Amino acid sequence: MNNKDSRFVIENRQDEFLYQKSKSNLNITFNRISFIFFVFFIIGLIYSIHLLHLGSRKVKIDLNNNINNITNKLFRADITDRNQRYLVKTINSIDIGISPLKIIDEKKLLLNLKYIFPDKDYQEIKKKITKGKFFYFEKKISEENYVKLMQLGDKSIESRDNLIRIYPQKNLFSHIIGQIDNDNNGISGLEKSLDENLKNSKEPITLTVDKDIQFLIRDELIRFNEIFNTIGSAAILMDIRNGEILSLVSLPDFDPNQREEISDVNFINRATKGVYEFGSVFKTFTLAAAFDEKLIEPETKFTDLPKSLTCAGFPIREYDQDIPSTLTAEQILIRSGNIGSVKIGQKVGMEKFEFFLSKIGILEKINFDIEEVGKPIKFNWGKCPLATASYGHGITTTLLQLVKAYSIITNGGYQIKPTLIREEKTIKKKRIINESVSSKILPILRKVVTNKEGTASLANVDGYEVGGKTGTAQKSLAGSYSLNKKINTFISVFPTSRPQFVLAVMLDEPKINKDYIYEYRDGSNFKLKGSPRNTSGWNSVEVSGHIVEKIGPILATKYSEIN
Amino acid sequence: MKKFSVICLIFSLILFTAYIKNSTKRINDEIFLSKENIRDLKKEFENIKLEYDYLSSAEKLLEYQVMYFDDELVKKNLQNIKIINESINNINIEQFKLADE
Repeated sequence: MNNKDSRFVIENRQDEFLYQKSKSNLNITFNRISFIFFVFFIIGLIYSIHLLHLGSRKVKIDLNNNINNITNKLFRADITDRNQRYLVKTINSIDIGISPLKIIDEKKLLLNLKYIFPDKDYQEIKKKITKGKFFYFEKKISEENYVKLMQLGDKSIESRDNLIRIYPQKNLFSHIIGQIDNDNNGISGLEKSLDENLKNSKEPITLTVDKDIQFLIRDELIRFNEIFNTIGSAAILMDIRNGEILSLVSLPDFDPNQREEISDVNFINRATKGVYEFGSVFKTFTLAAAFDEKLIEPETKFTDLPKSLTCAGFPIREYDQDIPSTLTAEQILIRSGNIGSVKIGQKVGMEKFEFFLSKIGILEKINFDIEEVGKPIKFNWGKCPLATASYGHGITTTLLQLVKAYSIITNGGYQIKPTLIREEKTIKKKRIINESVSSKILPILRKVVTNKEGTASLANVDGYEVGGKTGTAQKSLAGSYSLNKKINTFISVFPTSRPQFVLAVMLDEPKINKDYIYEYRDGSNFKLKGSPRNTSGWNSVEVSGHIVEKIGPILATKYSEIN
Repeated sequence: MKKFSVICLIFSLILFTAYIKNSTKRINDEIFLSKENIRDLKKEFENIKLEYDYLSSAEKLLEYQVMYFDDELVKKNLQNIKIINESINNINIEQFKLADE
């Protein structure tokens, strides 16, 4: 019954929402049109968002690729010395290759190439073309030939950008600068430690070294390496006021332009990487530690000093048997007394001496601008080790650390950080040892050079007020000390009245030269033929004297404060 | 009148914008050219400097000394270096001293 009654009524009702154009009678149903617009709008929106997303992603990838290409492949900043003279220069070059698969007319191509490069072996090139693989036709091509080749318009000729790293000073800075590999990555020296900086810096990186001084020091070292028949040598010249290294030479060296793989251990950087016992140059630290602790004065007398001591069954003897049994602290350093140094060391005590050596940076590995840095062998302190360390026996360090320690002792006690990279910012000076240490040590170091009993009179170059300390150490080989193989060192400071520079010269296994003529620097014009002994005083000191004589005028006029 | 002045203003603004746009483009081109020239000059300067560094290096100077200037290039002693103090009335020559000794 009800089913019959229920009916669907479909009414064609007029919409209440009408879009009506005012002057025409055109009526469009709003919801239908708006729906179509809405669908199109959504599709458009989705498409735009997708397009924007793809667009931004591509840009990002391209940007990264470009940066990588620029930074890794085709850019590396130049390196200059402190006077803006090039030590390393990057030159972008173009290599030309041939893709045999893209050759249309081989005969025509070879004829054209023969016209531009008449001296090439075209039989060999033909063979390479038949192999069908890409090959380099000419590397480091000139701009003129590049234009000629491109004008040929041959698609098989392909150019590849390349980076050439030139070291115009050849061997001169090899141990400082280091080398790069074929992928433009530094593998040693500053090329390695400054790798990221060199890839990103747009300006050349300026070093603290001086090219002329470096050349003169290296020249002298090479000359004396032959005279004293050494297996190698090293020298460091540092400004004690700010730690700037003006020269760092280690021989033998290598030419970084050759891109050779160096595996011979004799090519070690003796200035920073080589860890050695340096002998008597440590006596200065023993005396400085006693001054720092205010335990003694330069005039303090040490009486009844024996000629030898025994420690753990091993004898400690004087090098010079004529050394008096009563000496002042000052005389102990001037005459390089072993027993006197042991007595001073014992007065300082183990803990204080270790602390002092640690403060001046002798015992731990130094933080330096290149990674080729040696780590001093751990020293096991005890009663006997204290005695031997007092005169530089059994204790090891690097030449660079010696230079740093001598600088601190002589610059008024200020901490310094040896550096190869020039920075304009001024570093706040921090005093780490007593100021009086410098004023007490410097006159004694001067006397080592000027006194008749001193061991370094051959370095007394007129006008430079050189002071310093010699060190002759037997080399430790396979657990025992060699009698003939020595490390002879001289650390000089000049001018001692206003100390500005520390120069360290180390000769590795020097020998006696019977024909070399020594010219005494005491004003007597006395000449001596042949080295009387194989000690630092007869070789390293002589080398230092000649170096100071050569570089002195440059240092005095360019880098010194004039009154 | 008001309509006319508004049209004039819009027209002059269009002209002014076009002029500025053109002159900016011209300046941009000039800047680009100058930058390119500087880049070339910088490259040339670097190459000449590299050559100069090589020719004036201590190594080369010592070579020249042997070859051409045997008597002219001599080592200077510190004692031979003097300081010239120039004032309005006179010139003083003093001995150069590195140390106080």
